Amino acid sequence: MASADKLINTDVPEKDVFALHFLQSLSNLKTQNPLNSPAKSIDRVRKIKKAAYVSMARAAGGTSRLWSRALLRRAAKDDNKSVRFSRRKRKVTWKISSKRRKSNNQRAPVVEEAAERLRNLVPGGGGMETSKLMEETAHYIKCLSMQVKVMQCLVDGLSQK
Amino acid sequence: MDLSVLDRLKWLQQQQMVSPEFLQILGSDGREELKRVESYLGNNNDELQSFRHFPEFGPDYDATDGCISRTSSFQMEPVKNNGHNRAIALHNKRKPEGKTEKREKKKIKAEDETESSMKGKTNMSNTETSSEIQKPDYIHVRARRGEATDRHSLAERARREKISKKMKCLQDIVPGCNKVTGKAGMLDEIINYVQSLQQQVEFLSMKLSVINPELECHIDDLSAKQFQAYFTGLPEADSKQSIMADFRSFPLHQQGSIDYSVMNGTKDQTSSSWETHSQCLYNSLRTDSVSNFFSLK
Repeated sequence: MASADKLINTDVPEKDVFALHFLQSLSNLKTQNPLNSPAKSIDRVRKIKKAAYVSMARAAGGTSRLWSRALLRRAAKDDNKSVRFSRRKRKVTWKISSKRRKSNNQRAPVVEEAAERLRNLVPGGGGMETSKLMEETAHYIKCLSMQVKVMQCLVDGLSQK
Repeated sequence: MDLSVLDRLKWLQQQQMVSPEFLQILGSDGREELKRVESYLGNNNDELQSFRHFPEFGPDYDATDGCISRTSSFQMEPVKNNGHNRAIALHNKRKPEGKTEKREKKKIKAEDETESSMKGKTNMSNTETSSEIQKPDYIHVRARRGEATDRHSLAERARREKISKKMKCLQDIVPGCNKVTGKAGMLDEIINYVQSLQQQVEFLSMKLSVINPELECHIDDLSAKQFQAYFTGLPEADSKQSIMADFRSFPLHQQGSIDYSVMNGTKDQTSSSWETHSQCLYNSLRTDSVSNFFSLK
């Protein structure tokens, strides 16, 4: 599913990639956990959800997207694991959080309010400038919709049995 | 005909190719070269003429009076825009949009050089071309009438244009954004869409957890054709499905070993590597069936 945006590069891989990663993570979950101990369903749900997000981040973003990196870092922190990111090109990125900027008072407060809400939703949005946030949101939305489709297919296919 | 800031910047970057030519011209002596430079500047000569007329329309340009002297330096700009706009400005005093447009050059270094440019053409051409070549980082901005022309507001305007362009791209992605106009409504729609997508992921994962204990045997038994059937027919994702929360007691999942190391270049995997990958996953599936599955797309 490639897009023709000239400004933003919102190319997202095919759904096979997503499907492969998600199934891989699911099978990892299963092989690691024997069916012995009683479980709370909420934990189970949480694990699956986390696996879905992590697999989506790996499938779509890799290291080349800010949101995927932030998502993976957050997930790894929850499990007390460390993330390894390979750096191909080290760009010096200045984290400009919008609050610390010298405001010119012309920053279109409507846009900035919405940008704040978006930052809470999109992973890794806290350190991004508004224009960068828009790019990341676009890619994130595409990946999310792809992931939802894949999961929906899986649920439908399995529930038919 | 209002080239936005970004378009102008891109145009300028393309035009950077032109500057080596001028280096050659200026490097060699001779009047022929000077004439060549003048021919390049020929378009701008007209502009200079028109600029001399500008002070007649004094009261209209009070707000941006200071920028008139700034604008009349050498530029390699598309002639049509300039001539057209200047002609309209001279004759009509107003463009059909209701604003006259003036050019203003936003320099990174001192702007005093352009003050002297009003005097001589050829002199100006030489100094200006040399200064142009040495400082190629101009951002040519078109200031509208009545708007402030200091650096900050220009940067602000450039930034806002960038953001609005990106929001247009977003508008194409999010369905249902076309009906709502205005930045606020569109942004609200986008936020709602992201929230709904995340909620869908959560609901689907809950559903999966219900089906889950059966999943293990199914994954082993599933053949390639069934997988194809799953993933080829993609239904549209519904909004907010109702979940039959039939929570039984499920086995507790220990810390799953989710691999956090990111594999780069997953997109570039060929079909053969996908086969080996899937072999690790599904031991009971034969290789050819999996390759059938992945060779679909």
